[in-house]
Amino acid sequence: MSPPALPACLACKHFKHAPAELEAALPGLSSLSSAYAAVRADDGICAVHQRYVTSTSVCPAFA
Amino acid sequence: MAEIAQTAASRSIARRSPWGDLFRKEDWWAIWIGLGLIAVAVALFAGGGSIKWIAVAPQKWSHLADVTLQLKQHGPQYAALFVLWSVSFGIGAAALGIKISRFLPAFLLIYLAAGSIYFLGLWDQAAHYNLEPPLVALGLGLLVSNTLGVPRWLDPGLRVEFYIKTGIVLLGASLPLTLIAWAGPVAIVQAAIVSLATFGVIYFAAVRLGLDRRLAATLGTGGAVCGVSGAIAVGGAVGAKKEEVSVAISLVVFWAIVMIFVLPLVARALSLSTGVAGAWIGTSEFADAAGLAAAQTYGGYAGNVAGIAGNPDAAVSAFTLMKVIGRDMWIGVWAFVLSLIATARWERTGIQSKSRAAEIWNRFPKFVLGFIVASAVVTLVARGFDYPAYKKEVVPALVAPLQAFRTWAFTFAFLSIGLTTRIREFASIGARPLVAFTIGVLVNVVLGFVLSTQVFNEFWNRLGQ
Repeated sequence: MSPPALPACLACKHFKHAPAELEAALPGLSSLSSAYAAVRADDGICAVHQRYVTSTSVCPAFA
Repeated sequence: MAEIAQTAASRSIARRSPWGDLFRKEDWWAIWIGLGLIAVAVALFAGGGSIKWIAVAPQKWSHLADVTLQLKQHGPQYAALFVLWSVSFGIGAAALGIKISRFLPAFLLIYLAAGSIYFLGLWDQAAHYNLEPPLVALGLGLLVSNTLGVPRWLDPGLRVEFYIKTGIVLLGASLPLTLIAWAGPVAIVQAAIVSLATFGVIYFAAVRLGLDRRLAATLGTGGAVCGVSGAIAVGGAVGAKKEEVSVAISLVVFWAIVMIFVLPLVARALSLSTGVAGAWIGTSEFADAAGLAAAQTYGGYAGNVAGIAGNPDAAVSAFTLMKVIGRDMWIGVWAFVLSLIATARWERTGIQSKSRAAEIWNRFPKFVLGFIVASAVVTLVARGFDYPAYKKEVVPALVAPLQAFRTWAFTFAFLSIGLTTRIREFASIGARPLVAFTIGVLVNVVLGFVLSTQVFNEFWNRLGQ
């Protein structure tokens, strides 16, 4: 059985969550933490709302 | 909503396997590297050997000629150690998506600089001139990054958290599991008191100053739980604005750097024992790497500065128990609870978030598991030895080499902190977040001091003995 599809930010083209991309977007993040850390889970930046959100969030701007 | 689901289905993305995290998160790589080194060390020890040949470390010296002699005598060992670290961290970095061809040249420079700082710290006049390795590493890094600038090719090697987490896993090997079980509950109680008070003060001060509740919560967790990691965990869980997360990160980094210098200085002026000072730093520093720099600095005073009692390792041990066991472990719970509140009570953002209890595990700082397993393994190995035999056989052949590995890993991290910190980034912090966070810092530092030096002082003193 294949895993379920996710109508969530993780699949959205506006969602930026690559670690290197996040460390560039959030200066200082790599000084005393890391985008590769477990505590970040898969959170990322929504380029539409300019918010830092979980990968399981949803919104009408999904694309 | 049906449209969203339909669109998503058309893009059909599969949920990631949770097992994938075992190789794409640095917490797990810190565990693989740290426990891997411990496993090899234990295997050699069990066979009557030791890993100490490759766990080379500078010895005390008086004249530069002594350094030259040490390098001549142990040159192959330093080269082998470089290869060991390069392979270990290089494989981890490659798995995380950092090109190994970009990581290795950067790491070579980090290794050489860290080695020089390690040697400097062993100079017999180092304490006289306050040349504690963590402070020298940090100061040198800050100076270079904020004056000359750091070349871009060095960036892939500046992985503060990767190095510090590996060092913490290795640190587990020098803390008996019985000590963690004995001190853990006290650390949790003390940390809980300070965390709740600090969060409350920052949160309510921020709201009172008119800041958004999501920013208030992100700032509060950054100050109360685990610094930048706390800020990004809760910032994501509550859906804070991108610039709010940036502000919280800058504030935590600013105060964490200040506290690296201030806490050991004040503790030294008050002649606190190493155990008590470590507990205070663990309660009142904001990030693991920053706190370990402060705690290791203070541990270095024992035996070198008159009036400071306790063994040198007690500062780092007390810090780690307080920060890692008392504070870091709970970040998933904070994120989950605050996401529930944000979803149910706070103003809508246009994004619908789901609060899931699974986030508690998702965000759990997994390297803590490595730290505990490392402690359990070495405790088990040491069971068959009485104390004199442990000191004579287990320490030199097993524990001391692992301590040397840990000191190297920490030095890589301390140097990387300075080289990745840009003071100009602090200029973007607004006045109101600065005021709210600073009020929390003051409460945190005073409360942490009172609990460490008055309420639980006997306990932390005993740890230091």
